[in-house]
Amino acid sequence: MLLLQLLVNGILLGGLYVLIAQSLNLIFGVMGIVNLAHGGFIVLAGLFTYWFATTSGLSPLFVLPLAFVAMGLAGALIERFLVEPLMLRERRADLASLMLTFGLSFVLVQLALNLWGSDFVSVPYLQSSYRFRGLNFDAALSISGVFAAVISASLYVWLNYTLSGKSLLAASQSPTGALSCGIDVGRVRMVAFGIGVGLAAAAGVLVIVVLALAPQSANDFTLLAFVIIALGGLGNYLGVVAASLLLGLAQSVAGYFWGGNAEYVLPYLLLLLVMVARPQRFRQSP
Amino acid sequence: MTAEEKTDALARAAARFRGAHKSRIAAVAAGLAAALLLALIALTGSGYTLQFSTDILAAVTLAYGWNLISGFTGYLSFGQVSFYGIGAYATSILVLRAGMPWYFAVCCAGLLGALAALVLGPIMLRLRGILFALGMLGLARILEVVFNNWNYAGASLGLSLPPALTPVSVYAGMALLALLGFLLNAFFAHSGFGLDAMSLNEDETAAVALGVPATRVKVIAFALSALLPAAAGGLVAWNRSYLDPSSAFDPTLDLETIVFVLFGGVGTLWGPLFGATVLMLVAEEFLVYLPHFELALYGLVVIATVLAFPGGIVGIFNRFGYLRRPIILAPAILPAGEPPQKRPPRADEAPVLEVKDLEVRFEGLTALDGVSLALKRGETVAIIGANGAGKTTLFNTIAGFVPPSRGEIRFFGRDVTRLPTFRRAQLGMARSFQIPRSMPMLSVWENVVLPARHGKERQRAVEHTAWVLHVSGLAPMWRDRAGRLPPGHQRQLEFARVLALAPEIAFLDEVMAGMTVEEREVVRAAIRRLPEFGVAAVVLVEHVISAVADLADRMVVLDFGRKIAEDTPQRVLRDPAVVRAYLGEPR
Amino acid sequence: MTEDRPAALAVEGVVAAVGPLKILQDVSLVVNAGEAVAVLGANGAGKTTLLRTIAGLNIPREGTIRLHGEAIEGLPAHRITRAGIGHVPSGRELFPRLSVGDHLELGGRFSLPARRALLRSRVLDMFAVLRERIGQRAGTLSGGEQQMLAIARALMTDPRVLLLDEPSMGLAPKIVLSVFETFPILREQGVAILLAEQSLSLGLAAADRAYVMDHGRIVLSGTAAELASDSRVADTYLGR
Repeated sequence: MLLLQLLVNGILLGGLYVLIAQSLNLIFGVMGIVNLAHGGFIVLAGLFTYWFATTSGLSPLFVLPLAFVAMGLAGALIERFLVEPLMLRERRADLASLMLTFGLSFVLVQLALNLWGSDFVSVPYLQSSYRFRGLNFDAALSISGVFAAVISASLYVWLNYTLSGKSLLAASQSPTGALSCGIDVGRVRMVAFGIGVGLAAAAGVLVIVVLALAPQSANDFTLLAFVIIALGGLGNYLGVVAASLLLGLAQSVAGYFWGGNAEYVLPYLLLLLVMVARPQRFRQSP
Repeated sequence: MTAEEKTDALARAAARFRGAHKSRIAAVAAGLAAALLLALIALTGSGYTLQFSTDILAAVTLAYGWNLISGFTGYLSFGQVSFYGIGAYATSILVLRAGMPWYFAVCCAGLLGALAALVLGPIMLRLRGILFALGMLGLARILEVVFNNWNYAGASLGLSLPPALTPVSVYAGMALLALLGFLLNAFFAHSGFGLDAMSLNEDETAAVALGVPATRVKVIAFALSALLPAAAGGLVAWNRSYLDPSSAFDPTLDLETIVFVLFGGVGTLWGPLFGATVLMLVAEEFLVYLPHFELALYGLVVIATVLAFPGGIVGIFNRFGYLRRPIILAPAILPAGEPPQKRPPRADEAPVLEVKDLEVRFEGLTALDGVSLALKRGETVAIIGANGAGKTTLFNTIAGFVPPSRGEIRFFGRDVTRLPTFRRAQLGMARSFQIPRSMPMLSVWENVVLPARHGKERQRAVEHTAWVLHVSGLAPMWRDRAGRLPPGHQRQLEFARVLALAPEIAFLDEVMAGMTVEEREVVRAAIRRLPEFGVAAVVLVEHVISAVADLADRMVVLDFGRKIAEDTPQRVLRDPAVVRAYLGEPR
Repeated sequence: MTEDRPAALAVEGVVAAVGPLKILQDVSLVVNAGEAVAVLGANGAGKTTLLRTIAGLNIPREGTIRLHGEAIEGLPAHRITRAGIGHVPSGRELFPRLSVGDHLELGGRFSLPARRALLRSRVLDMFAVLRERIGQRAGTLSGGEQQMLAIARALMTDPRVLLLDEPSMGLAPKIVLSVFETFPILREQGVAILLAEQSLSLGLAAADRAYVMDHGRIVLSGTAAELASDSRVADTYLGR
C-alpha cells in the first residue's frame, strides 16, 4: 500500500513535470536551442501567483490564463528582438543563444528577488487531502497534476490535430520542407518560443501550489526540464511524458526512503548518467 | 629580387623589429606600473581599498581560469564554480584538520582542482556545445548536495574558519594567482599549444584531421582552467572566515565570471583583466544608487554584449589596431622556407595504402560494401561515382572519422584501422575537405603552421610552413585572417594545409568543385607537382570526371557502396556499367 | 515567347554562391507555361543550387528571376512559394513523423478551402497509392512513395511553376517513369515544369527542351530531340 501511495504521488508529480519539460522541448525541438531562462519564467510566474493569491485571497488558478498570455507575449517579443538576430547571424547560434538566455535568466531572477524577496514560499491552498480506497490524494498535488496534464494534452492536440500546430511540427522536422509549403519559418520560431515561455509560466503557477519556490530555484527547473528531455528523447512527445512520470516516481520513492537531498540530486545524477552513457540521445531523431 | 626590392624588404623588416621592440618596452613598462600600483595598494590602502582590490584580483583570477577552457578552447562551461568550491573546501580542511600552513594548503587545493579536472575531463569533454555547458551546470549542483550532506566538511552549516590570514597576505596571494592566470593565458595566446586549443574552438573536426590530439589538448586546458578557481577558492574562503556549500558552489559566481570575460573579450589575453576590473569598478559606483540590481545589471551586460559587440572591449581595441594577438610562431619576415626532408624509399617497402574488404554500415544501411584498394608509391588514383555512391564515406573511413564494421586499412604495411584520426594525420595520411574548412579567425600562417608543427622542432616547423606558403601561392597574404580570403584562396589554403602535414599520401576530396576552368588548371598543375613535394601517392575523389581523367593512373568507380570497376581512365570510361551508372539508362 | 505574355519563369544572368564558393555563373533560362524543361548535368554542375536559388532558399548575388513577369528574386522563400513556385527539393525534405494527409494539408495551407479540396482530389487521383497511405507517416513510406508525396505536397501549393530536383535519385527506373508519367497531366493544367536531372536519358525523355549545365554555366541548350543526338552532351558528362 505504501508503494501504491508513492506511485500515486509520483505520477501526480510527473504530470507536473510533463508540462515543465514539454515547454522547453517545444523550443528546443523547433529552434535547436536551450532556453536557459526557462526556470526564470517558471519562478517569476510562481511567485506572482503567490503574491496574487495571498493579497487577493482568490484561487491561484485564476492566474493561469493571465500568466500564459502575458508571459507568452513577452516570450514572443524576446524571440523576435533578442534571439532571432542571433539565429540569423551567428555561426554557432546554439551557443550564442545559450549565453543570451543565461544572461536573461539572471535578469528574471533579480526581478523576482526585488519584487518578492529570497524566501521560499508556497501558496496555502487546498491543504486537505482525499482518501480513496485507502490512498491519500493530496488535494493541491492532485489539482495541479491534473491541470498540468490537461494543458500538456491540449498542447499535444494542438500540435498534432490543427493546421497551425502541424506547421510548427513541420518546421521542426524540415525547415526547407516547411518553406516549400509556404510556411514562414521565422514566424513559427517566434510562436514556438512564445508558447514555450507561456507554458513555462503556466507550469510556474501550478508548481507554487505544490512546492515551495524561491527565485534562486530557477536553475533547478531549467535543468530538471533538460534532464527529462534528455531521458525522453528530443522532440519525442510520448517519450518525454514517460520520462516525466518516471522521474516523478523515482523522486517520490527516493524522497521517501533517502530524504529530500536524494530527491533533489536525482535529476542531476540522471543528467550526467545520460550524457556520459548516451550522448547520441541528444541528436534529433528522424 | 632586385636591389630595390631588397632594400625595401630590409626596411620593412627593420620597421617590424623596431615595432616589436617598442611593444616589448611598452609591455615591460605596463608590467612595472601594475606591480607598483599593486604594491602601493598593499602598503598604503585602507582596509576597504585592500578588500576591494582583493575582490577584483579574485574576479580576474576566475575570469582567466574560465577563459582558458571556454574562451580559447571554446568549451562553454557554466560550472567552473565546482572547482572553486572543491578548492575552498580542500584548503579549509587541510588547514583545520591537518594543520597545514595556509599557503601550502592553497597550492594543494589548486593541484587538487586540476587533478579533479583531469579525471572528469575525458568524460565531460566528450560532450560538445550545449551538452558540456549543461553538464557542468549539473556537476556544480551535485557537488553542492554532496557537501551539504558531508558531515566531515560541516554539512549544510559549513565550516567556520579562524582568522589565520592577514588581509595583506590574502591580497598578495590573490595577486600572485591573478599573475599566474595572466601568464597561463599569455601562454595560450602565444604558443603552439594555445594554437592547438584555439583550433578546437574554430573547427574540432578539421583540427583532428590536421593532427591535433584533441582530447589531450582539451583535457589539459580544462585542468589548467580548474587550477585557478580551485586555488582562488581557498584564499577567498579564508578571507570570508566561513565556508558553506551554498556560498562555495554559488552559481552567481559563474555568472559574474562569464560576464567579465564576455565584456572584456572572450578568448583574448587582456579581455578577462579589463572586463573584471572595469565592471567591478562600475558596479561599485552604480550599485550604491541601485543596491539590488547586481544580477540584473550583469545579465543585461551579457545580453547586450552577445547582441551588440560580441568581441567585448578588446574587440573594440582590435578594430583600431591595438591589443591584437600576435601571430603564433610567426617570424618577423617570411623566410624562403625548406621542403620537408624525407627518408628515401626502400626497395622492399609495402604499398603506401592497402584497403581490404572495407565495410561500413549506418543504422542498417550499407554505405560501403567490401571495397578494396591498393596504392603503390608514385600512383594517383581517382575515385568516381554518383551522389551517395560512398566516395566520401570511403575517405572518412580511411582517415579515421568513421569506424568500419569490417575490413582493414594498412599504411606502409602498418595496420592503422584502429588508430585515432590525429595519429593517422601525423603519420602522413592527409585529407582535404570537400567544403574548405579553414579556421576563419586564425591567420593564414597559423592555419598552416598548425599541421606543420607536429613532430618537428620549432625552427623546422617555421621553415616548412614558409615553404608550403610559397609553393601554394599564399605567401603574399600569409598574415591575413583566413576567413577574409576570397574563395579561390580558401581552396589553396585547404591544399596548403594538406602539404603542411608533409604527407606520404594525400586524399583530395573534390578540390575542384565549383571552380572555373582557369582555377581548375591551377589546381591540376598543383596536383601534378605533388610527387615533387614528397607525396608518395594521391587519392582523388571527383564528380567532374574530365578534371581527373588525365591526372589519374587508375580510376575506381563506386556505385551504391560497391566497387564496380577499376582500370585505366580510358578503359573505365568505355565500360558500359560505368556509363550506365553515370548517364542513367543506356541509350 | 511574345512581348505581351511573359514566360512562366524567366531567369536572367543569375550569379549565386554557397558560402565561399561561387556555384552559378551568369545562368539564364526560360520556361513557358505548360512546358517541361530539363536542366541536365553531372553532379556538382550547379543544378540543385539553381533550383534552390529560384525557390528563394539561396539569395542570388546578381541577376533577375521573374515569375510571369514579376520579379521574385530576394523575396523570402515562403513568399516565393505562395507566389506560385512549387519546389520539390533534393532529398525530398518530407516531415518524417507527419502523415501523408498532413503533408497535403500543409501544402494546401494557403489556398482557399474549395481550391484546396479540388487540388487534393486531383493530386490523389494522380498518385493513387497516396490515397491508400493517407494516414501513414511519411518516414515509413518507400522511396518511390516518398518522392510522390514530395511532388504531391508541392502541387498542393497550387504552383504555376514546379521545380523538381532529381526526382530519380535513389529510385528504380520503373518508378521514375511512373513519376514522369504525371507530367502531361500537370502541363494540361498549365503548370510549367523545371526538372533538374542527372540521368541524361530520363531527363530528355521527360522534357520538351533542355539546358545542359557544367561548372555553374549553361553550356548547351535545345529541344530534347536535338540534344539526344548531340554527342557533345555525353562529352560534357564524361569529360571525353
